[in-house]
Amino acid sequence: MVINPYMAPLLEIRNLSFAYEGSTALVFDRLNVVVQEGEFVLVKGPSGSGKSTLLRLICRLNKPQGGSILFQGNDTTTIAPAKLRSAVSYVAQIPQMIDASVEENLLLPFSFAINAGKTRPGTEELREMLSKFYLGDVRPDQSAMKLSIGQKQRLAIMRALLQKPLLLLLDEPTSALDQESAAMVFSIMERLNTEEHKTLITVTHIDYKPETVRPLTYTLAHQTLHLHESDH
Amino acid sequence: MSQIINISSSQLLLALVFILIAQASSFIYHLGLNRDITIGTIRTFAQLFLMGYVLTFILKSSNPFLVMSVFMVMVVSAMFIIKGRVKEKQIPYIIPTFLTMLVSYLATALFVSGLVIGITPWWEPRYFIPAGGMVIGNSMSALAISLERMFRDMRQQKELVEMKLSLGANYREASLDIFRNAVTAGMIPSINAMMGVGLVFIPGMMSGQILAGTDPLIAIRYQIVVMLMLVGSTAVSSVIVMLFVRRRCFGSGEEVLLTPR
Repeated sequence: MVINPYMAPLLEIRNLSFAYEGSTALVFDRLNVVVQEGEFVLVKGPSGSGKSTLLRLICRLNKPQGGSILFQGNDTTTIAPAKLRSAVSYVAQIPQMIDASVEENLLLPFSFAINAGKTRPGTEELREMLSKFYLGDVRPDQSAMKLSIGQKQRLAIMRALLQKPLLLLLDEPTSALDQESAAMVFSIMERLNTEEHKTLITVTHIDYKPETVRPLTYTLAHQTLHLHESDH
Repeated sequence: MSQIINISSSQLLLALVFILIAQASSFIYHLGLNRDITIGTIRTFAQLFLMGYVLTFILKSSNPFLVMSVFMVMVVSAMFIIKGRVKEKQIPYIIPTFLTMLVSYLATALFVSGLVIGITPWWEPRYFIPAGGMVIGNSMSALAISLERMFRDMRQQKELVEMKLSLGANYREASLDIFRNAVTAGMIPSINAMMGVGLVFIPGMMSGQILAGTDPLIAIRYQIVVMLMLVGSTAVSSVIVMLFVRRRCFGSGEEVLLTPR
C-alpha cells in the first residue's frame, strides 16, 4: 500500500524501544505516539526519565534499538539526515553559539548545503525578528558569546526557525533560565503555535500551563507516554 | 674528503656520561625518570645495533621482497606506536590508519627514490629504506597528534557539533573546524621544521652524510628533497586518515558516536 504523505500525520512513533549503550535497562519500551500538524505537544516527566532522549531520537541524534519513527509518512531512516534535521529542528537545553556575531549565528543554517536554496533574511528583517523574540536591545553585529543564557536560548529558537522547519523540538527550553526569561520563552512558544501555526514538541520537568494554547500533554513514565487526564 | 673516523666500543661507552648526567638530574630533583632513561638507553643501543646488522644484510641483498618486508615491519611498528599514544576505545581507527600509511608512504618513497633521485631499481635499499623510514617516522608523529586532537575535540565540542547538525549541517559541515584543526595540529611540526632547518638545527640525515664524508652541497640537496617529502607525505596521510576516521566518529544517521569519558 502506498501511503499518501499528505494524509499521513506529521510525526508518528511506532513501538519505539531504546536503551543507552552498555545498559540493558530500557528507557522506552514500545512507545507509540502520533503528532498532527499544528499541535502543541508538551511532554512532562521527572529528570532522567528520557524526555530529552525522545526528542533526540526523533531527529536521529540517537539511534533506537527497535521500532520506527515516521515523518510525513516516511521512515526517518530513509530521509537524508541533513534533510530531516532542516525540517525537524531540535533546540538543545543549553543553547550553543559559535564564537561570532549575533547575525553570523542567526545565518549559520544558511551556510549549510541543505539550506542553500532558502531565502536568507536581511539585517533589517533580523532586527525586526529580534524584537519579536524580546531581543530588541541586541545588535546583530555584537558578539553572541556575551549574551545572557536567556538571550542565547531565545536566539537559538529564532535561529532554528529561520530555516523554516515543519516541526520544532524544544528540549527543556527554560530549565536554565530565571522566571522572567522563562516567561518570555513560553510566550514565544505559544505565539509560534497560535500565530505562525508551528508544530511544537516541548519537553519540560516544570509545571507549565500554557495561557493561550490548549496543549496535548503527555507524561513520560514506565518507559512510555501517557496522555494527560485533562486532555482526554 | 678526509677518512671517516670510527667510534670504538670504549669511545661509545664514554658517551654514556651524558646518560649519567641525565640520571643524576632525575635523581636529585626527583623527576621519576630514572627507569625510563635506563630503558630508553638500553633500547637505543639494542634497536640501533639490531637495525645496523639488518641494514648491512639488506643493503647487500638484491631481493625486493626483503626490502618490502622491512618496509612493512616499519609501517606496522609505527602503527603500534600510534595505537599506544592514541587511547581511543570507541572509534575503530586502526585499519583505515594502517592502510593509508602503507599506501601513502609507499607512494612517497617510490616517488622520491624512483623519480626525484632516479635510482634503478626503485627499491634499491640504500635509498628506499632510509627514505621510507624518514617518511614513516615523521608522519607517524603527525598522525598521532592529529588523531588525538580529533577525538578530544569531537568529545569536547559534541554539543556544538550537534547544534550544527540540528540546523541541517551534514557531518562534514558540522565537523569542519575540528577536521581542520586536527590536520593543522599534526602538520605544524613539519612546517616549523622547514622554517628552522639550516638556521636553528642541522637535520639528522644531512649531519650523517657530512659526518660520513659527503660533500655538504650534495648533502643539502638530499636534505631539501627529504624536507619537501616529509611535508607532502604528512599532509596527504593526515588528510586521508582524518577523512576516514572523522566519518567513523558519526553513525548511520550522522549522529555523533563519541560519548564523554
